Amino acid sequence: MDTRDPIDPLFDALRGEMAKLDAPRGVEKELLQAFARQYPQKQAWYRRLALRRWLLAGGLSTAVTAVTVFSLLLLNPRLGADPDARGRALLSRDGNGGLFIALESPERIEQEPAPRMIETEVSRSSLAPLGIPLTPENAGDTVRAEMLLGADGQPLAVRLTSID
Amino acid sequence: MNAATSTTPDADLLRAMRNGAADAFAALYRRHQGPLYRFALLRCGSSATAADVVQEAFMGLLTERFRFDPLRGQLAPFLFGVARNLILKLEEDRRHVALPAFEAAEDGRSDGDDPEPDQPLDNHGPLARLLDNEAAEQVRRALAQLAPHYRDVVILYEMHELSYAEIADICQVDIGTVRSRLSRGRAALAKRLAGWQVAPALAQA
Repeated sequence: MDTRDPIDPLFDALRGEMAKLDAPRGVEKELLQAFARQYPQKQAWYRRLALRRWLLAGGLSTAVTAVTVFSLLLLNPRLGADPDARGRALLSRDGNGGLFIALESPERIEQEPAPRMIETEVSRSSLAPLGIPLTPENAGDTVRAEMLLGADGQPLAVRLTSID
Repeated sequence: MNAATSTTPDADLLRAMRNGAADAFAALYRRHQGPLYRFALLRCGSSATAADVVQEAFMGLLTERFRFDPLRGQLAPFLFGVARNLILKLEEDRRHVALPAFEAAEDGRSDGDDPEPDQPLDNHGPLARLLDNEAAEQVRRALAQLAPHYRDVVILYEMHELSYAEIADICQVDIGTVRSRLSRGRAALAKRLAGWQVAPALAQA
């Protein structure tokens, strides 16, 4: 038994018909334009902030990179003067004031089955590519050196014992 | 409306809107414009006026001329209340420019107890056909013949399924008044539509 009011089906028809209706599209367009006018400063502020952040991040990144590169060059001028030397020479001071220069990688030196040491004197000018300071006054000098050779006679490292 | 904004609560969208998020404002508009427009259309009978009411209601929300407080209720009833007040103001403005004879007729039913006034306030829009479905159009015309304060209650209850309490808040009356207006409004509609129901062909003639 239908307990609905006789006008309920008519309201159903009206609801169904009205559901098809929306506000004209122009209303939304007008409102969004009004919104853009209402919040222009806030939008521009966010955009400016984002741009400033990007600029700040980029500037800091560039500065950090530059400082790092300059620091490395200051600590090891040889890297700047001779990029190839970076791969073939490791340089350190030993406890007796001598200068140890690895001409091969530490792994290669450690794996050498029969290394041998010879004492010799080398001209200072020949050491210039390894980063040894060279001036007109000391260009003709010789430096006492201990050469570490591999079994095939290949120089593995050199230790300069009489150099400032 | 994208997937994120379609499920975002009104309060969150409002907060984002007030922080300048245009997509939040657009999402709020798309969520509420339909019911608001349909309420205004049934209430005043003119699609152009209904569109103006929707635009002004959302403009007020945007400019905070109509300040919504999420702690005091839902946004939808708030917007219905705003729309109703805007329509009342339009009707008031029209009453001021109405002919003296029409004003006298309005004064004659100032007690507000008659759900069927001699002449509706919006005496142009309701008479123009708005709906294709004949039954729906008949109900819409019958609604337009109700006195505005009955029309409000019937539309909000029957078309938008709001509770008595929400309608009472929107119309600024107590719940008992909502009940009585709904009852009297429905009775007036049933009386007006009775002939159409038993003999639709005769009603259309």
